[in-house]
Amino acid sequence: MAAQYGRGEPVARGGATAPIAPARRIGFLAASAVIAFVMALAAWATIIGDDNFPSRNVFSLDSVARAADFAGGMVGAESSASPAFYNPDEWAEKARLAGETLAMSVAAAGLAALGALALFMFGARNVMMGSLAPYRSPFWTAPFFLVRGLFTVSRAVPELVWAMILVFVFTQGTLPGVIALAIHNGGILGKLGSEIVEGLDTRPMRALRSTGAGRMQVLLYGVLPEALPKFITYLFYRWEVIIRTTIVVGFVAAGGLGTEFRLAMSHFKFTEVTLILFWYLVLVLFVDIVSGQLRRLGN
Amino acid sequence: MNERATADSLGGRGALTAILLIAFAISLTGVGWGDGLINAGGVRAVGQILAAAIQPQLDLDVLSIGARSTWTTLAYAWAGMTVALAIGLPLGIIGSGTVVRSPWTRRWNISSARFALAVFRSIHELVWAWLFVAALGLSPMAGVLALGLPYGGILGRIYAELLQDVPEAPLRALRSTGASEWRVFWFGRLPMALPDMLSYTFYRLECGIRSAAILSFVGLGGLGHNIQISLQDIDYSRMWTFIYFLIALVLVVDLWSSLVRRRVAIEQG
Repeated sequence: MAAQYGRGEPVARGGATAPIAPARRIGFLAASAVIAFVMALAAWATIIGDDNFPSRNVFSLDSVARAADFAGGMVGAESSASPAFYNPDEWAEKARLAGETLAMSVAAAGLAALGALALFMFGARNVMMGSLAPYRSPFWTAPFFLVRGLFTVSRAVPELVWAMILVFVFTQGTLPGVIALAIHNGGILGKLGSEIVEGLDTRPMRALRSTGAGRMQVLLYGVLPEALPKFITYLFYRWEVIIRTTIVVGFVAAGGLGTEFRLAMSHFKFTEVTLILFWYLVLVLFVDIVSGQLRRLGN
Repeated sequence: MNERATADSLGGRGALTAILLIAFAISLTGVGWGDGLINAGGVRAVGQILAAAIQPQLDLDVLSIGARSTWTTLAYAWAGMTVALAIGLPLGIIGSGTVVRSPWTRRWNISSARFALAVFRSIHELVWAWLFVAALGLSPMAGVLALGLPYGGILGRIYAELLQDVPEAPLRALRSTGASEWRVFWFGRLPMALPDMLSYTFYRLECGIRSAAILSFVGLGGLGHNIQISLQDIDYSRMWTFIYFLIALVLVVDLWSSLVRRRVAIEQG
């Protein structure tokens, strides 16, 4: 039921699960609740007990004044220079960067989709060693673990960390950021794609098989067409996440609003920050709307 | 009529495919390809990075730093989630518009709460982090709030939707007994939506771990901080140690959360 809630992160439900005794199940849930609560207390103890935690500052007039200063800076009250948002050239420049950010997000989503599409079949348990497997041999099942491992590593490492690593490899430009986004999201999309295939209703495939279709043909004409529409839906949800993250990748790699945000923050040009945030929100809203429309077109 | 619908959807899909391919092609021209893709030392760097992956630094002091920063990251994620719950739960309930009966109040409740939630979640946690650090100073509280705000925005939206999607029939039965709207919510709506809400919260916790790891980018401690420092020292083996810590942490929380979610799903039937 909750399959598609949230921005492209469907709640993966158990799927086919072995029955669990009710008492043990409740016991596990109760224990989990206790652990979660204790962890929360311990976490707050760590945060508050942190050496450089200026508890006197954060909840004090001093920090209120500081926050007010910052907010004032963002609306241009703090500096004698004319605020960036009164300057049409600044608007045009930030709009160009917003366009670049949009292009980066689309390129990243596209590359992630290509990677995931190439691999997601190999990450589905039922295709590699279950009821849909065309071959039964270790050479066919081995890629399952390889591909799933690849998905796990690529999505466990956040985009930003990938970007930090990739700036050592690629030339200075928007490319490291795009690739970083593509790697992380490719892992997520790949895992989602594999789970789609694992959750498919196999009855149509069996019907296809009974008409004399070969096992490979079942994969191509039975599994793939069933899985693709859902995959595209996830891709759109993911794009909505990617556009929010593209700015963050720009903090370490070059390109788009992110780099500009970093520069503006480090040079204390807070009115520019306001302008960048404005365009950022416009982009997010734009992508949410377009993605919603395209999803409807696909259905 | 059915054939017509199929034809329409095929046309829609064809158009969609074309749009996707064209957009992707255009976006590729927008990416600055520069002179050559890989920088001068790039190929060598890939070799070094990959070679370092199979020989992470396992000195005792590196491991102990890894363990400590793993806890820091976990603590940020957990504290951030408590803030997210404190924001998402009330705003989600208000945003579902299910506790009030008067249509006007309900509409006002829904739109204002949903707008606030949308603003919170539109801005990425790291951008919030930077803004909070600039406003409050380099305090762990800035990181916790930075995580809590966007996550609260997401949780609130999902909670609102889940609370709205509850089947109406049992609620009508409750109402017919004369229960107030608040009682209907408390004894009907919330218990029915709770399993899905719980599932989603746990799912978000997994994401929170990854987000907490990169909060260090704005100067807060944790695994990301150590990864960053290792990269600045161009010490790939040490970097991999911390990345493996991160992967292990994500996997453990992943596993726990999927076990919980599976049991909650059964609970729901």
